[in-house]
Amino acid sequence: MANDLSAPVPDAALSDALVKKLAVLLADFTQDWDNEFEGEMSRGTRVLADLGFESIDIIQLIVAIEEDITHKKMPFDKLLLKDGRYVDDLSIGQIADFLAANL
Amino acid sequence: MTTKTLFIGLDGCTFTVLNEMTRDLPGEGVTMPFLAGLMGKGVRAKLRSTPNPLTPPAWTSIMTGKGPGHHGVFDFIRAEDKGGDVYWTLYDSRDVDSEMIWSIASRAGKKIVALNFPLTAPPPKHTDGSIVPGFIPAKHLRRNSHPQGLFERIKQDVPGFDPKELAWDFDKEKQAMEALSDSDMENWVRYHLPREEQWFNIAEYLLEKDQPDLMAVMFDGTDKIQHQAWQFVDPALIPAERTDFYNRMRAVCREYFANVDRYIERLVTLAGPEAQVFFASDHGFTATVEVLRINAYLEELGYLKWAVNDGSEQAMRREASDFANLDWSQTVAYCRTPSSNGVYIRVAEKPGEPGIPARDYNRFRDKLIEQLKALRNEDGEPVIVDALKREDWFPGAHMKDACDLTLVLRDNGFVSIRNLKPAVVKRPHPIGTHHPDGIFMACGKGVSADGMVARRKIVDVAPTLLHSLGVPVPSDFEGKVAESFFNADWLAQHPVQTGEPTQRSGERQQSEEMDDQEKQQIIEQLQMLGYME
Repeated sequence: MANDLSAPVPDAALSDALVKKLAVLLADFTQDWDNEFEGEMSRGTRVLADLGFESIDIIQLIVAIEEDITHKKMPFDKLLLKDGRYVDDLSIGQIADFLAANL
Repeated sequence: MTTKTLFIGLDGCTFTVLNEMTRDLPGEGVTMPFLAGLMGKGVRAKLRSTPNPLTPPAWTSIMTGKGPGHHGVFDFIRAEDKGGDVYWTLYDSRDVDSEMIWSIASRAGKKIVALNFPLTAPPPKHTDGSIVPGFIPAKHLRRNSHPQGLFERIKQDVPGFDPKELAWDFDKEKQAMEALSDSDMENWVRYHLPREEQWFNIAEYLLEKDQPDLMAVMFDGTDKIQHQAWQFVDPALIPAERTDFYNRMRAVCREYFANVDRYIERLVTLAGPEAQVFFASDHGFTATVEVLRINAYLEELGYLKWAVNDGSEQAMRREASDFANLDWSQTVAYCRTPSSNGVYIRVAEKPGEPGIPARDYNRFRDKLIEQLKALRNEDGEPVIVDALKREDWFPGAHMKDACDLTLVLRDNGFVSIRNLKPAVVKRPHPIGTHHPDGIFMACGKGVSADGMVARRKIVDVAPTLLHSLGVPVPSDFEGKVAESFFNADWLAQHPVQTGEPTQRSGERQQSEEMDDQEKQQIIEQLQMLGYME
């Protein structure tokens, strides 16, 4: 994630809790995919490189997060758009930090 | 059987093709004999689509009885102009700011089944019955089916169920609008045969087992096939000499329509003689003969600048995508997506922001309309025959989200947003495009046998289905019951009733700002689940 001094600072404890919650959500989300990821999902797990996401899956993941965790729309453009470009990948930790900072 | 109303959606279906498929043609016979019989004893009308006749806004109007200005869905892709950037995502059911018939019927105590309708994912809340959404990739079908467990039930009980064969594949869907080789075109049509069979199998299973009051299924292969294979189904384009390829393509298109006829026969037979059966399409189809590269023309007029392509893989991918890739700091008027078929005018909120000053809006727009209508093709014909102002065509709370100008091209084509010159070129051969007139048909007990009647509006489908179900029509619906679809005796026994207004939907309208109480609730939930001390 690019450094942004104006971005809100995430609460570390909340972010760690969200990592665990996201790991459970992602395990359900990907349970019937043809994906070879094995092991435990953690802060460093990347959704494209490790879990086999495609762009459309990120859109669906945002829906799932808003439906299951935040129960309302979140400003995901702040996470996905950096300097006019869409980020290449996202880790569970980056998503958790974003949610913790914007809740 | 307790099913009162069977609704079969046929995406992009048009009488131009349906009339051919239901009559006896030399050497071919009748491709859809069962539907021909139904049409012979029922009623039908052309159905005028939404101002931009496109799948997401049009099906949403069918499901809500309201136009896009009220329900808020205008395209496949939803864009948020952030000044320096435009954030792109897809519309989903939470963007639909009007209640759908699925929950209106459920609130009235009716059980529903809705299969393959767009904008039904995530599943609308407060629905009694089953929803398997359309336009959702196989990987996400389980989580988006309603109720929980439905996907597993279908997997277990429907022989041959294969979500990959059934569901929307984004990479494949892109082919609908691409130039394909002969063999790819034939494969494209063949790809839809098992897809529709999968949807039919689920529809047959749920109709037979659950016997919902309202059974609704949408078949979308009609649209996809007609985009690529229009020249093989339009009677006006039959060549004097039929090549082997033409005959093969014609045969596989007819196979598709014959299959749909078989599905209709089985579903209508299962629903039984007491049911009323309705068919509708979101728009019709016709031929487009030229390409308008609208952003190239707007660049010529000095209203936009293309983004700099640095040659990187990401830049190339972005350039090839179906959403505009522009230098937003120097763009004041542009088209976002080919499917939007419209032009957005950027208005500067503050001095220094890109866009025109708000006070200049009307003058700027009037001048732009003149310039758009002045565009001619190489034969000197006008390319853009109308430019619809949003306040005239999209009244409602979401009018501001509509294109400032929705374009109507002389051949009903969709624009291209590619960075190519010239701005207008002829296509090598006609391909299919959406026509504003789709179909609306009915048959069954109490239905009129008047044949073709006066054209209806797309917003009339929802109130007509609710009336057939015995549910009062919400007072805030835009559409009216198609009374001409019912016979006098049945209407006398079942007068149209107006009920309470719809309940607000549109979760997207909620603020992105989270208050302290909401944040605390989430923290407590995380603590309760053991994720947090």
